[in-house]
Amino acid sequence: MSYLEYNVKHVPAGFRKVMYLHWPLALLLAAVAGVGFLMLYSVAGGDVSRWAEPQIKRFAVGFVLMMAVAMVPAWFWRNISGVAYGVTILLLLAVEFFGAIGMGAQRWIDLGFMRLQPSELAKITTVMMLAAYYDWLPMARVSRPLWVAVPVGIILLPTYLTLRQPDLGTALLLMLGGAIVLFMAGVHWLYFAVVIAAAVGTVWAVFESRGTDWQLLKDYQFRRIDTFLDPSQDPLGAGYHITQSKIALGSGGWTGRGFMQGTQSRLNFLPEKHTDFIFTTLAEEFGFVGAVSLLGLYALIIVFCVVTAVQNRDRFSSLMTLGIASAFFLYFAINMSMVMGLAPVVGVPLPLVSYGGSAMLVLMVAFGLVQSAHVHRPR
Amino acid sequence: MIRTPLRPLARILDARAKGENPDAIERENIRIRHEQMRDKLRMRAESRLLVLALAFVVAYGAVGARMGLLAASEPAEPVTVASGASILAQRSDIVDRRGRILATNMDTYSLYAQPQHMIEPLRAAKELARVFPDLDEETLAKQFTGGRKFVWIKKKISPEQYQAVHDIGSPGLLFGPREMRLYPNGALASHILGGASFGREGVHAAEVIGVAGVEKTFDDFLRDPANNGAPLELSIDLTVQAAVERVLYGGMKLLNAKGAAAVLMDVHTGEVLSLASLPDFDPNDRPRPPVAGDGQTQDDSPLFNRAVQGVYELGSTFKIFAVAQAMELGLVNPDTMIDTRGPLTWGKHRIRDFHNYGNELSATTVIVKSSNIGTARIAQMIGVDRQKDFLESLGLFQPTPLEMLEAKGGQPLLPPNWSELSTMTISYGHGMSATPLHLATGYAAIANGGRMIKPTLLKQAAPQEGTRVMRPEVAARSRAMLRKVVTEGTASFGEVPGYAVAGKTGTADKPKPRGGGYYKDKVIATFATMFPAYDPKYVLIVTLDEPVETSGSEPRRTAGWTAVPVAAEMITRIAPLLGLRPEIEPGELAGITLTSN
Repeated sequence: MSYLEYNVKHVPAGFRKVMYLHWPLALLLAAVAGVGFLMLYSVAGGDVSRWAEPQIKRFAVGFVLMMAVAMVPAWFWRNISGVAYGVTILLLLAVEFFGAIGMGAQRWIDLGFMRLQPSELAKITTVMMLAAYYDWLPMARVSRPLWVAVPVGIILLPTYLTLRQPDLGTALLLMLGGAIVLFMAGVHWLYFAVVIAAAVGTVWAVFESRGTDWQLLKDYQFRRIDTFLDPSQDPLGAGYHITQSKIALGSGGWTGRGFMQGTQSRLNFLPEKHTDFIFTTLAEEFGFVGAVSLLGLYALIIVFCVVTAVQNRDRFSSLMTLGIASAFFLYFAINMSMVMGLAPVVGVPLPLVSYGGSAMLVLMVAFGLVQSAHVHRPR
Repeated sequence: MIRTPLRPLARILDARAKGENPDAIERENIRIRHEQMRDKLRMRAESRLLVLALAFVVAYGAVGARMGLLAASEPAEPVTVASGASILAQRSDIVDRRGRILATNMDTYSLYAQPQHMIEPLRAAKELARVFPDLDEETLAKQFTGGRKFVWIKKKISPEQYQAVHDIGSPGLLFGPREMRLYPNGALASHILGGASFGREGVHAAEVIGVAGVEKTFDDFLRDPANNGAPLELSIDLTVQAAVERVLYGGMKLLNAKGAAAVLMDVHTGEVLSLASLPDFDPNDRPRPPVAGDGQTQDDSPLFNRAVQGVYELGSTFKIFAVAQAMELGLVNPDTMIDTRGPLTWGKHRIRDFHNYGNELSATTVIVKSSNIGTARIAQMIGVDRQKDFLESLGLFQPTPLEMLEAKGGQPLLPPNWSELSTMTISYGHGMSATPLHLATGYAAIANGGRMIKPTLLKQAAPQEGTRVMRPEVAARSRAMLRKVVTEGTASFGEVPGYAVAGKTGTADKPKPRGGGYYKDKVIATFATMFPAYDPKYVLIVTLDEPVETSGSEPRRTAGWTAVPVAAEMITRIAPLLGLRPEIEPGELAGITLTSN
């Protein structure tokens, strides 16, 4: 039950909805994806067919998908969010079991035309589920411990299943994204303070325990942390990605080497150059200016989302838009931090730019939801 | 939280009194309350959004600032800090006195394998066995397929082998840089140089450490990066060393000796210009030291340095020390007649001469004819204590101070009880053992006019001062006697046309191992010589181990037949190399005299 009532009569209907789409947002998404096509073309050494072409096709499909999702009223999405969440959990469990049978870490289910990663799906459905939950929950109960425990469970269940795959990056995104929805829903700040304090305390204890009898991590795990903190200790081993991408960023300088002129990334110094580390190619070829421009495009997407969320008086729509925007923010913030050596290397792609089908489609569907919330907002 | 009641009694009653509908008041209050709630929620939502926005901005700032820093940074390849990189420092070269390379470094590679990266381990093993015939294909195949992560294959390989292994093309065969010690002259001067081997060893580098000779003695200097690659300058002269070794080798073979040693020393500076010991070895491929039980004694090992490590009874070469001391003490002069009636008995011991030289000889003739009895009589005059003092002042009681590890092993053997008999036998070189280098320093004191100098392997800039052990006149008279040994005495084969040679022969029976007297047919033949005789610049000692000259009707072993001709040949070869001009000696030509001990 939302504290604001819909006035359905004012919501556009039929094909008129297309007029009411958030077109600036759609154009921004296309622009970011366009940057991605350019980079994939450059990384492939001027070869369109290798990465750029499939990526364009996927984006086209994703764009159509976004429109389709946008046409469907937001309240429909709210009503099916429980089912969507349940299906996602089942898919995660399926991956867990079939992965076990298949004798390996399997993160995806083959749908024939694409490989679906349920953990990608979980990012949207968890946000939807949380938004629907707070839409239903009376405001007075939001900070009651029992009513806080429920959404925490909603977040932790897919997080745990993702962590089992193991996919640390996605698990981290799920948890942080969920926490932001909780925060925006108005859960008392003391809960967050306690969790943050506990996390800081745990990290402190882990470091403090090093070298003692009750050491909490294995020695090799500590060494990985050391390598993250100082990649130059092991430039050819675990610190390799980071060192090379830092060189690429450094060699780009302020204005870059120019399109197709990047050496570091094109000479195959970098692994994952077309997926997680594509930002280095951008930074090398277009320099600081290019990298900041991309950052600006991302920031605009976030700002548009936040503005429409704030203007939307429907609690579900507002929370879902904010949740998706924050997940998107976390996506590129973690990826860039990773590439620039501010965060450890976890497998998080650069949204809309990195080569990859599942993430692209899921993101476009998510923005479809944002569009739907925008189109069907109560007026 | 104080709530305003929805139906405040006073207002309701008031309204009723006015005839208004009290429900309107309630509706109005509900509306106000809802507005308040909405305001509160909006406030909260907005503050939360602000917090989140702040977090976004901070994250953006961090990413942007980092990007700016990286964009401003100079792109630099990381310098690999591999363990052991610090020990790749260049070891200094070793050069001879004229700067010719004796030891240098060569960059080469070690070969190791990481079998998990191999695509075809069996083919790699087969190919490796082809490149290195000493490796066994089956052993390699077992190592490559046995799950090991790391296998050393070769510690150092040649450039040709490097190319061949490269051509195998297996990604699991890897090379580590190695700095290898190279001795371009092969076995030449091997005993001086010693050798080097790898110490601490890693994949990326290996430490080169000296194991013997000057490589070991000057290890710290050679490794010191502060030298900036300055070479170690030795006193050795490469060409002279080559000639000495060549002649010594020929003499050793011709005379069927099992070993030989030669020392050439500058009598003013103490510089050892050449030092040879045969058999020798190639320091590029140093043989293993002999181990107990393989039938080889240490003396037979090619690693054994006879010139500085081997202590021998040097025989009659010692006689000049007794005569020189007696002259120094004023007990005799060159013409003093010495009683040489034999045999000389002391207790149950009898001292005999090789020949019977009659009743008496002059001191000079005692040396020239090499009379044991005459020398023993002179030693009796000197006495035990004075003899000990004199020999000690010549450095004959301590190992030589030469800058080689091996020199410390050359501890002279002295009689445990220095009786008068010991004095008498030591005066003609029996009962006391010393190294050829000891002899060279003793003779250098006579050659340079009476100053005791230290032998050295390092190039010297100036003559040594040295402590005076005898008066210059005594040294000069001693040299005249030694000259006569060559012109008239036992060393007549030592005459080299153009170069006046002075010297003394010595033939000592070899003692049997573990006591039990002396061999009758095994000798150490030594010729201690100095040239040019009237102003000597160099002392040369040639020692042959168990030589036998078989051209005559019966085997001849005395130094006059063995060591002397070898030394003469050597001087013929090296004197021009040393820059000495031949001189025609004034006076009569020497005839061939009967040689004797």
